[in-house]
Amino acid sequence: MDRQRRAGFLFVLPAVAYFTCVYFVPLVESLIGSFYRTLPGGASRFMGFGLYERVFTDPVFWNSVRNTIKLLALSVPSTVALALAVALGLDRLTLRWRSLWAAMYFVPFAVSLVAAALIWQWLYDPVHGVLNHALVLVGLPPQKWLQSLNQVLPSLAAVNVWVRLGFDTMIFLAALQAIPGEYYEAAAIDGASASQQLWRVTLPLLNPQVVMVCILELIFNFKIFDQIYATTQGGPAGASQTIIPLLYDTAFKYFRLGEASVMAVFVFVVLLAVTLLQWRIFRRPVDY
Amino acid sequence: MRRVIGGAVAMLAMAGLLAAAPDHVPAQAKKIVYWTHWEQNPEFNKWYETKGKEFAKKSGYEVEVVTIPYQGYEAKYLAALVGKSGAPDFFNGIVHQWCGQYDFCDRMPADLEKTWSENLPKYMLPVGQFKGATYGIPIEHGNFQQMYINVELFKKAGLNPDKPPKTLDEWLAAMKKLSVHDAKGEPTQVGFALRHKGHPVGIADKFLPFAHAFGARMLSPGLDRAAGFANSPEMVAALQFYGDLVTKDKVASLAFGNPEDTFGQKRAGVIFRESWYFGWLKKNAPDVTFKVYALPCAKACPGAGNLFPWSNLVYKNSPNRQAVWDFLRFISNAKDDLEQHQLQGILPVWTVNLETPYVKGRPDYASTREMLAQPVPPNYYHPKSNELATAFGEAVVGVLYGKGQPKPSLDEAAARMDRILKD
Repeated sequence: MDRQRRAGFLFVLPAVAYFTCVYFVPLVESLIGSFYRTLPGGASRFMGFGLYERVFTDPVFWNSVRNTIKLLALSVPSTVALALAVALGLDRLTLRWRSLWAAMYFVPFAVSLVAAALIWQWLYDPVHGVLNHALVLVGLPPQKWLQSLNQVLPSLAAVNVWVRLGFDTMIFLAALQAIPGEYYEAAAIDGASASQQLWRVTLPLLNPQVVMVCILELIFNFKIFDQIYATTQGGPAGASQTIIPLLYDTAFKYFRLGEASVMAVFVFVVLLAVTLLQWRIFRRPVDY
Repeated sequence: MRRVIGGAVAMLAMAGLLAAAPDHVPAQAKKIVYWTHWEQNPEFNKWYETKGKEFAKKSGYEVEVVTIPYQGYEAKYLAALVGKSGAPDFFNGIVHQWCGQYDFCDRMPADLEKTWSENLPKYMLPVGQFKGATYGIPIEHGNFQQMYINVELFKKAGLNPDKPPKTLDEWLAAMKKLSVHDAKGEPTQVGFALRHKGHPVGIADKFLPFAHAFGARMLSPGLDRAAGFANSPEMVAALQFYGDLVTKDKVASLAFGNPEDTFGQKRAGVIFRESWYFGWLKKNAPDVTFKVYALPCAKACPGAGNLFPWSNLVYKNSPNRQAVWDFLRFISNAKDDLEQHQLQGILPVWTVNLETPYVKGRPDYASTREMLAQPVPPNYYHPKSNELATAFGEAVVGVLYGKGQPKPSLDEAAARMDRILKD
């Protein structure tokens, strides 16, 4: 190995070592653990695919999968669309105002997820909550929000949008500012209207960022835990039970580490598959 | 200049040596670490540290108390106890889980076991035991639900706060009188502060007194079967009654938050809670005038039962376990038992303390005696009690929210519970 290659290897070594210890080893452990019924400090029994069969025939597990998908469907498109709209708006402002508004949008992202969830829990409170007071003020009936079977997932999705909007906006804003002005000038000379410029110039050039944000949002929402654990704990009546809180309960409340490992493997495989699919379908290189 | 620097370095080195000399080392006591999730009882917890200072004079061991938030405490306990490093030397936990499902507990020395078995009320003896072996020291005597009533709201509703409802029928009639509805028929004040939020285990726990009053039980006496018990006709009737409180009778509301706050905010006339709630109310809602009574009966009386039998357990891998047992021996006496519980407004554990002026002066003295005189209800001290109660609690909460009917919900829960038991 020549000196340059050795230096390159040494530079990436810390990252590789970190990734191996923090991600790869636990992943392999989870995979192995999913075939064993394990008691901490005690014996473990090889179960083959027995635990997979147990988890995949459990209606509670599939209910959590359904809830996760519903939450994804409610959160991801709205977060991405809103972030894009906000970024387009901010891009038109002067630097001073842009910075101010961008910072305001970004603040929720800096708040701890548990703190954000607790703030929203108070806002959503059916009796004392600010939201219901506002609804009553404008003559609308108060809602049950987190305490309603039908409203709990949309309410949690709104929290997700609030938390993630700033981060996604920053990514889009940075990408928008990197688009050369000449493209728009050329489009204007060719007679393109503002909406044509948006659809034919801006969005195609933002495609890599849109794909990336979609993947990040997908992962974030699939792994949602803090907000649910701090507010509804999966309730009411399992209406907001998603996969990760169920995995947590299975591992630490019911002490079934094998079944929890099966769920972890399921999450990994699904996320990997969806990410690859998204990458393959949506990523279209654009070159002007 | 060099000399000056050299001199300064030499002086610093001298100072360092002096500081390191044995005479200058402050005597540092060793520590035994206690973990508890009883975040609602800070004075009770702190008492261990205070007493630990006294203990340190003769043993050299102080006590450090670490309060783990209740929500998610199992994960933290489990990680520490499995990992061994960073684990507590002793902790507040449930025997059948931490000593039964797992093997984390040190067995109690014979002399201490004798002390406690001679001084606990009989119904509490199983609380620290698993399969006949004693591991834990029970820490709460009144760990069963009783009926707290708001005196003002009772009077406003034309009810006599000195004549509490004795049967569930009388109780329901009183709850109806206590409930106030708005123009759309939604309650603005409820008779009963009902638990409907949070983990299904807690929801199951709050429903069980109703189940027991209807003569139902969650599991078979041998704790090996749920079908025929969790979905018995009596259980179905109990859950129908419980669900009707929200959907038909509208004497409880799902719009209100947690029941303790609802009662403390004078939005509910009645709550069922354990003895610690007396101290909590005094501290957090001092303007609420309340009285405590035994729970109403139906086919049977609910009696003094619980789903969460808390006790102090010693970690078997602790290098300090001998010191912990010495400390527990040090505080195993009637005087300390009374002092610690009185600090937080909790009922003491020792039988002899149940007739002290402190206990006799408590509003739950008579009700506690009355409930203890009732037959002991079923207990569910099974290593998988969390998972079993979750399956059962999901049926209960499903009915409360109109997601299912009692019979099919309980049938499904019973089948799931049997799978858990067989697994």
